[in-house]
Amino acid sequence: MASFIDSYYHLLRRVLTVLMGFLIFPVSLQIISRYTGIIPRYIWTEEVARFCFVWIIMIGAMIAVRDNSHFDVDLLPQPKTKRSQGKRNLIVHIAIAVLALFFSVYGVKFAQLGYIQNSEMSGINMISIYISFPLAGFTWLLFVAEKIAEDIRMMRNPGKGSPL
Amino acid sequence: MSAGEVSLILFGAFATLIALRVPVSFALGLACIPVFILDPRMTPIVLLQEMWKSYNAFILLAVPFFLLAANLMNASGITERLVGLARASVGHLPGGLGHINVMVSMLFAGISGSSTADAAGIGSLMIPAMKKQGYDTSFSVAITACSSVMGVIIPPSILMIVWGGLMSVSIGGLFLAGLVPGFLMAVFMMTTVFIYAKSRNYPIYQRASFKEFIQASGRAAFALVTPAIIVGGIIMGFFTPTEASVVAVIYSAILGGLIYRKIDFKGFRKVLYESASLASVSLFCIGTASAFGWLLAYYRVPQELVNLLAGFGTGPIATGFIIALAFLGIGMFIDAIPAIIILGTILLPLATKAGIHPIHFAIIGVISLAFGLVTPPYGLCLLISCSLGKIKMVHAIKDVGIILIPMFILLVLVILFPDMILFLPRWLAPNFL
Repeated sequence: MASFIDSYYHLLRRVLTVLMGFLIFPVSLQIISRYTGIIPRYIWTEEVARFCFVWIIMIGAMIAVRDNSHFDVDLLPQPKTKRSQGKRNLIVHIAIAVLALFFSVYGVKFAQLGYIQNSEMSGINMISIYISFPLAGFTWLLFVAEKIAEDIRMMRNPGKGSPL
Repeated sequence: MSAGEVSLILFGAFATLIALRVPVSFALGLACIPVFILDPRMTPIVLLQEMWKSYNAFILLAVPFFLLAANLMNASGITERLVGLARASVGHLPGGLGHINVMVSMLFAGISGSSTADAAGIGSLMIPAMKKQGYDTSFSVAITACSSVMGVIIPPSILMIVWGGLMSVSIGGLFLAGLVPGFLMAVFMMTTVFIYAKSRNYPIYQRASFKEFIQASGRAAFALVTPAIIVGGIIMGFFTPTEASVVAVIYSAILGGLIYRKIDFKGFRKVLYESASLASVSLFCIGTASAFGWLLAYYRVPQELVNLLAGFGTGPIATGFIIALAFLGIGMFIDAIPAIIILGTILLPLATKAGIHPIHFAIIGVISLAFGLVTPPYGLCLLISCSLGKIKMVHAIKDVGIILIPMFILLVLVILFPDMILFLPRWLAPNFL
C-alpha cells in the first residue's frame, strides 16, 4: 500500500511540473498572436490556460497534504511527549479528513453538474475540470489515512516511529 | 440565520480550528460547513462552486508566473549581480552590508512580486556574509526579513494583483501607487541601519570608484530592465498583468538559461515544480477564503458592520486607522491572500462609505499586511530568515520591533496623506483612477 501511495504521489508531482511548464504556452501564444500576426488570434488560449491553472491548484493542494506544507499557525506550546504530539497531529488529520470527505461526496455531484455543460470557447466538457474537486477529496483521504495510521502508531508506541 | 449568528459560527469555528493547528485553508473550508448544513436555503455544493469561480480567473495566473520568474532570477544568479551593484552604490555607508541588504531587496522587489522569494534569495547570500563581518545575527536576520516585505509593496506585487482582481481596482494604478511608499520604506530602513551601525560600530566598505560602479551596473543591467518591461508594459497598455508575468518568466528563463547559463533543463524542471507547489498552496487558500467571504456577504455581515460603525460617525482618517488595525491584526495569524479576501470584502463598504479612494484603501491594506510577514506567530519572511540565520524567532523579535518603527510611521503617513500615493497614478495614468 505504501509503495502504491508513493508512486501515486510521484506521479502527481510529475504532472504538476508538466502542467506548470505547459501553462506558459497558451499565454505566450496570446501575446505573440497579438503583436506579430504569425499565428491567428486563438480565442481558446485564455480558457485553456484557466483550466490548466485550476488543475495546478488542485494537484498542488493534494501534494501539500502529504508534504504537510499547507500553512498552519503555531499558537499552542510544543507538546512535550510523543504521545501528546501524536494526539495533536491526529486532531489535525481528522479535520483534514472531514473536509476531504466533504469534497469527495459533494465533489461527485459537482462533477455531475459539469457533465451537462460544455465550456464557452473551446467546447471542453466541464467534467474534465470539475472532476479535480472529487479527485482532491479522494487523494486527501488516501494521504491522510496514511498519516492517521502513523499518529496512532505514535500514540501507542511512543518509543518508536519517526523522531519529533 | 442572522448576520451575528453566522459571524459567530464562521469566526468561532475558524479560530478554534486554527488554534488546534489545522491548516488555514482547511480551517476556512471547514468553518463554512455548519452554515451550509444548518441553513435550509443553502446547498453544500455552493462551497465548491464558489471555490471554482474564484480559481477560474485569468488574472490569478499572474501569481504562479511572478513566483516562477522570481525563482528563475534567484537560480540564475541575478541576486549576486544586484548585490554587486548595491555594494558599489551604498557599501561605503556605515553598516555597509545592512544598506546593501535593503537596496538589493528594493531592486529585487522591482523584479519579483513575492516577499518570500526575496527573503529566501537575498537571505541565503546576505545573512552568512553579514555574520562573517561581525554583524549581530539577530540584526542580520531582522533586516533581511523586514526589507523583504518591500516585495509586496514595490510593483510588481502578487498581493496587489489579487486585490485588484478581487475588488476590480486597476492593477496598473495599484502598481504606480506602491512606488512611493516602497521607495520611502527603503529610505526609512537605511536610516535605521545607519543608526544601528553608528551605535554598534558595524564595518564599512571602501567607497567604490566611478568605474567600479559602472561595471557593477553593467553586470546587473539585464536584471534592471525587468521592472521596466513589467511595470512599463502594463502601464503603457502593451500587456495585461498576466501577460506581463509570462513575459517576465520568458525573459528570466532566457537570462538564466541562455545568457548567464546557470539553469539547465533539470534545474528548470526543479524551479517549475517548486514554484507551482508554493503557488498552489497560497492559491488553494483563495478558494476556501472566497467561500468564507461569500457566506459573510450573503448574510450581509459587511453592511451590518457599516451600520454598527456609522453610529460613531467615523471619517476617512479614523476609518483608515480601523482598516489598518484590522489588517495588522489578522495578518499576524493568517496568510496575506486569504486576509485580503475575507477582510477586504468586509471592509470595502466601510471604506467606500467613508470616501476612501479604492487605491488608497488597497495600499493601506497591503502595507498593513506586509507587517504580518515579519510578525509572529505567522510571519513567513521572518521564519525563512530565521532558518537561514539558524536562530529562533524569539531572538530576532527585538530587532524586528525596532526596524518596524519607521515602517509604522510610514503607514501612518500613508493613512493621513492619500495624495502621497495617489499623485503618481493621477499624473502618469489618470485613466487608471
